[in-house]
Parts: sequence; C-alpha cells; structure tokens
Amino acid sequence: MALLEIKNLHAFVGDKEILKGLNLKIESGEVHAIMGPNGCGKSTLSSVIAGHPAYTVTDGEILFKGLDLLKMTPDERANTGVFLAFQHPVELPGVGLAQFLKTALNAKRKFLGQDPMDAVQFMKYMNLRATALGIKNDMLKRSVNVGFSGGEKKRLETFQMAMLEPDFCILDEMDSGLDVDALKVVGQAVSVMREGKRSFMIITHHDDLLQYVQPDKVSVMRDGQVITTGGADLVHEIEEKGYDKF
Amino acid sequence: MTNFNPFLIHEQKNTIVQNPEPFKWVFDVQKDGILTADFLQTDKNLDVLVLLNGEGAKSKINCAYLSNKNNRLNLDIKVVHKVKNTFSEQKIKGLATDNSFVNFCGLIEIPHDSQKCDGRLNHRGVLLSSKASILAIPQLEIWADDVQCAHGSAVGPLDKNQLFYLQARGLNKFDATRLLLHSFLADVMPKDFESVIEKWMVENV
Repeated sequence: MALLEIKNLHAFVGDKEILKGLNLKIESGEVHAIMGPNGCGKSTLSSVIAGHPAYTVTDGEILFKGLDLLKMTPDERANTGVFLAFQHPVELPGVGLAQFLKTALNAKRKFLGQDPMDAVQFMKYMNLRATALGIKNDMLKRSVNVGFSGGEKKRLETFQMAMLEPDFCILDEMDSGLDVDALKVVGQAVSVMREGKRSFMIITHHDDLLQYVQPDKVSVMRDGQVITTGGADLVHEIEEKGYDKF
Repeated sequence: MTNFNPFLIHEQKNTIVQNPEPFKWVFDVQKDGILTADFLQTDKNLDVLVLLNGEGAKSKINCAYLSNKNNRLNLDIKVVHKVKNTFSEQKIKGLATDNSFVNFCGLIEIPHDSQKCDGRLNHRGVLLSSKASILAIPQLEIWADDVQCAHGSAVGPLDKNQLFYLQARGLNKFDATRLLLHSFLADVMPKDFESVIEKWMVENV
C-alpha cells in the first residue's frame, strides 16, 4: 500500500477550480518532486493535503496510511504524520518558539496515546536538534517567525519538521528565496531525515533544492493535473527544454 | 466572575488615587509622579480619569476586557496632560463573544500650554463570534503644538492563517485559539489575572 494515494482530486478556491482530477501515489521512503509552471496548482495541492479551510474538495479522495485524510481536521492530519513546510511561514507575535514546539510535540504524543514530555526531557530533545540545524539559542526564545529573515523562516520550518518527526513531509517551494548556504542546510536536513521510511513531497519549479536532494520520482503538473511521472532524469529534461514540452 | 480584584496598581509615586464609586477611578499624578495600573473588565463598566498634574508625571494604563453573553460593556479612559513634560501610555486589548457589545472611548487631552508631552493610546479587539461587536473611539485632543502623540485601533476576528499554521502543527482548534488569544493578551495581562482569563477561555472559547 502506498503511503499517500490521491485519486481524481478536484478542488476549488472560491468558484475557481484549481485541481482538476489529480492522481498521485507516493510510497513509504520515497522522495517525490512535484514540478510545474506557475499557477498549475502545486501549492494548492499541498494546502489541500494539509487541510487548509480556504479550499473546497468537490470530488476524489486522499488516502494516507490507508486512512481517509479528507475526513480529518488539519490537526488530526498533522498528528497522523503529515507535515507541511509552508511556502510563507506565518508570524505568531507573542508565541514563543520553544513553548509552541512543546505544545505541538505534546499534542502529537497525546494523540498517539503517549505521555507528555516534561520540561527537562523537552529541552534536551530540542537542543539536540537545534544544534544539528544551526538554530541559535536566541532564536528559540523569540516569537515564532517574527522578525525572521526569509532564510531563517525556512530553516525554522525544517527545524520544526525535525522536532515533530512526521512520516510524510511536504516542502512547499522551500527553495524560493533561499541563498545557496540556506539551501544547503535545508538539503542536508532532508537528506538526514529521509533515512528510514520517511517520505517527502518536494514542490518546486526549478532544480535548486533537487541538486542537494536526489528525488526518487518526479511528477510534472499542468493545469491542475499530474501529466507525467518519471525518475530523477526528468528534472534535467525540464531544465533543458522547459515545461512547454509536456 | 466577581470574586477577584480586577484592578492592580504596580507602581505608585506622588499619586493620589480616588475611587468615588466602584469601577470609577481618578488618578492625580503630581510632579515626577508615576502611576502604573492594570485593569481587567468583564461585566462591569470602567471609567478612568488620569490627571497628569505635575511636570515629569508618567502614567501607564493597561486594560484587558472579556465580554460575553448579552453584556454591554462601556470602557472610558481619559488622560489629561495638564502641564508640560508629562507622559502617558494606554494599552487596551480585549475579546468579545456571543452577542456582547463593547464600547471603548479613549481620549488624550493636551491643553495649549502643555508642550513637550508624549501620549500614546492603542486599542485592539478580537471578535470571537459573528454577533459580537466592538466600537472603539480613540481620540486625541491636542491644543499644544510641540508634542508627540499616537493613537490606533484595530478590531477583527482571529487570523485564519495563524490558526491554520498552528493546526497544521498538530494543535486542535481549541488549543490553537487559546494559544493565540493568550499571546494576544499577554502584554496587558499581569500574572494575577491569568487564572481568570484561563477560566473565561475555557467557558467561552
């Protein structure tokens, strides 16, 4: 059974249809890049999987670990193992990063029937991951994303991903607005995290991030549908010939 | 919600406090005086008058309000910079739900001879139901020509994108809402009020 299986997905924002019968399968442990021109519905796809209320699904289904994802609230989806790294991370003034992560981590543990982590356990757990990703101590004390640069915000999304250890990570245009160094950090984090059975859906419109993370599969989207799926070599074909070929 | 003291003075120097009737306060801040006070209003109207009567007088008023059911809540906060070189800051933040109505009037008055004053007034309200309403009237009445003043107000529902972000990290809607509201109120909410606010959220959010 695939980890994620999307069948004939139709989704609207307002009265505009964005996804028009999309099909996609992602296996456990697979890194799957979704590429496509601007406006083809890539970001909509990630929002719909995560359960953003602005989108209405009118037809089709999304199965995650065999469960009907569309029947779940966004938090149930997250706690079942879906993680969306936002293209534009939201600022949360007054919400301290460490407190936020502890609340999120313990929400997941509660959902899974595990005991909450106490403050000492949590600090140990957090500091280990913060050090690995070069997250400085003063960042942990600040409000979530407030006053962070674009690169710092993306790095923080990666950090949250490492903290919550999801089974399925969606990186929505993680590489937009990142300089080479920040891109490397994100790429390395993904490479470390992909070991084991974790799956990734990497949404992008060029090959920047894919230079650091070798995808197993590549799907090309166009006009709200996946029009072709292939191996990593598809990336080079797109870089050479553009999307018009497809 | 009556068994707590909704009023706290943190700092009081050269200040005469009058409380002629419940929820009506007059603060007379004299030369180099300091007043820092916090209010938490739920179902009682509030009427505050601050008179900055001596040079160097400073006042800081924080007010949080929580309004529910069919409450009609009137909040009046007026600061008069009677003399030059006086400073005031008013921060008002609150939540309204159910069918409640909140009417906030804030006024900073600076008479003709009160030069070099600095007055700040900021109000922010969050609407938690479509039937609740908040009317905020922040006003400046400035007759002097060499002063610094600022006032502002914003009222609206909770930001949907902030809510979604928290939910996408595994917090259920209730916990996400509560976290956002707590952080919204944080800078006008002294520790002594926390349990009251927490109880209100459990009952009303």
